[in-house]
Amino acid sequence: MSSFEPFNRLVRLAARAFYDDITMKGDNQPKTGRGDNRGMAVVVLDALTRRQWVREEDLAKALKLHSKQLRRTLRFFEEEKLVTREHRKETAKGVKIYNAAIAATADGQQPVKEGDEKNKIHTHSYCCLDYAQIYDVVRYRLHRMKKKLKDELDSRNTIQQYICPNCGKRYSAFDALQLVSMIDEYFHCENCNGELIAESDKFAVEEMGDGDDNARRRRREKLRDMLQKMEEQLKPLMTQLARVKDLAVPEFGGLLAWEARVQATARVIGDSNASDSKSSLGQGYGGTPMPFLGETRVEVALPGMDVKEEDTGLDTKSASMKVLPPWMIKKGMVLTKEQRGEVKAGIETAQSLYTTDEKKPGAEKEEGKNIQDEYLKAYYAALVKRQEEQEAASRKMQEEGETYKASAAEFSNGIGELTDRQVGMKSKRENDENDNVYWEDSTSTVSGNVGETFKLADLNAQPEASGDDEEDIDWEEG
Amino acid sequence: MFFHIFLERNMLLHPRHFGPHLRDKLIAKLMKDIEGTCSGRHGFVVAITGVEDIGKGLIREGTGFVTFPVKYKCVVFRPFKGEILEAVVTMVNKMGFFAEAGPVQIFVSNHLIPDDMEFQSGDVPNYTTSDGSVKIQKESEVRLKIIGTRVDATEIFCIGTIKDDFLGVINDPGAAS
Repeated sequence: MSSFEPFNRLVRLAARAFYDDITMKGDNQPKTGRGDNRGMAVVVLDALTRRQWVREEDLAKALKLHSKQLRRTLRFFEEEKLVTREHRKETAKGVKIYNAAIAATADGQQPVKEGDEKNKIHTHSYCCLDYAQIYDVVRYRLHRMKKKLKDELDSRNTIQQYICPNCGKRYSAFDALQLVSMIDEYFHCENCNGELIAESDKFAVEEMGDGDDNARRRRREKLRDMLQKMEEQLKPLMTQLARVKDLAVPEFGGLLAWEARVQATARVIGDSNASDSKSSLGQGYGGTPMPFLGETRVEVALPGMDVKEEDTGLDTKSASMKVLPPWMIKKGMVLTKEQRGEVKAGIETAQSLYTTDEKKPGAEKEEGKNIQDEYLKAYYAALVKRQEEQEAASRKMQEEGETYKASAAEFSNGIGELTDRQVGMKSKRENDENDNVYWEDSTSTVSGNVGETFKLADLNAQPEASGDDEEDIDWEEG
Repeated sequence: MFFHIFLERNMLLHPRHFGPHLRDKLIAKLMKDIEGTCSGRHGFVVAITGVEDIGKGLIREGTGFVTFPVKYKCVVFRPFKGEILEAVVTMVNKMGFFAEAGPVQIFVSNHLIPDDMEFQSGDVPNYTTSDGSVKIQKESEVRLKIIGTRVDATEIFCIGTIKDDFLGVINDPGAAS
């Protein structure tokens, strides 16, 4: 949002400065008080600052305007280069795509509605503010205004007038060729051969102080006044322009690109837990141009971990409950797999690695466990760095060994229980290898809760993790 | 601005040219008559590039002269208001300076010369900036903008300005030597 706000403010200021007094009227309509729609332009622009791509009918409905009226306004803005419009012929399906995108921006949920599909083709128009262009247009407009006034003030493009002080005959610069004399460097009157004086010279004004000159002086005064007023009244706009100068211009891209992006964002958001969706929506909203969004998301995944850790309270609950309804898991799964990048996967494995190490000292006796560990070691042998991590972790674990031993009795019980569960779990998961999200939750829980207080809960969680771990490996291999 | 256009003209040819080279004579006379002239409508005729068509001659009674309608293609030059031109300074005086861009005469009054340039009289009258880095004198080349044209039937006169961005001296002979 933050990157939008200054630009929106710019648009609003510009709207009030330049389009306040514009009437959107057909030429054939008589000018009546009723048809006075000044200020509508401002309302439309304001509404557009709160939207991205919007279908014009929807905008008309929202503003309670007649769509023809709105279209006329928008066409005007298109000519003014403030707004980009796109027209496309579409069936009901196309509308649905757009609706989905809109819904996605609204609440981060993608309604999956399939059904009545009419093959009627309508032409729909969409419009959107073009921030980059608006910035340039406003700047250019200000520049032209200032230049025009200043030029006139300096009488820059005016033709010089000359007066003969003797006979009062006037000449313009166009006559210069005839007036120039061979004797000296002055112009000479054709009648009396007197020296001509440029009209705006002080002397000439005094001498020939007639009404014409007064009018000229008044005009100059007026111009100067106008320039000053302009500077004063457009100051907010100019400061806003200066403020916006170094900011990255938000861009929506074309309508199609925008739709695709918004939907992708929505999917990503839908992926992370629903409670999170509001904040991450803001991210996607004000975020970077769409082609980079995917990448950004991956990078964000690291801070995203923190978020998850913050959320552990919630997660622990679910982990301790452990019995998640299978439909829920499934749904989360599919999305995750698509959306998570490689980096994420790497992190996951790292996490799971820790968990393996944690359980290692305790589980050493177990035969099946041993084999598994061997397998794991063989697998990780190549990854030297990770082994170092392993060692560090195991050292840490040895330090914590006392605590483990203290609760050894419970432990062994737990392990017997655990292995059973593990086996069952495994078989289940082999059928359905999409349990990814579930593991992730549990793993994050484990990594989050190394503290002593959670030890028991931890034990419960560990087998989960080990199960995950293997699953993870299988998954990676496959 | 230059244009490449078709024009038509009735050429009057003396009977003495009637012979095997009538066409050549006609074209030579056309060039001699037309090139370098100025019409208010089309501007200066710079060059004739080709004769498109010579119509049937009509003998004038009494004189024996023959008029041929000749259609020809030519390059014309016509200055416009707002156009940027490069010109050579021909004369400098207190009131401003005159310059030529090909056939066109342009006058730049001292009000349309940047304020920081001052007139220096003397052997070579010139306009110079206070630091002396830029000097406008005879034979200087300047880039100027036309702000007004006076088009007569046979003459075009322009008023220019160098009081704008990117205008002014483009090659100073004084500095070069």
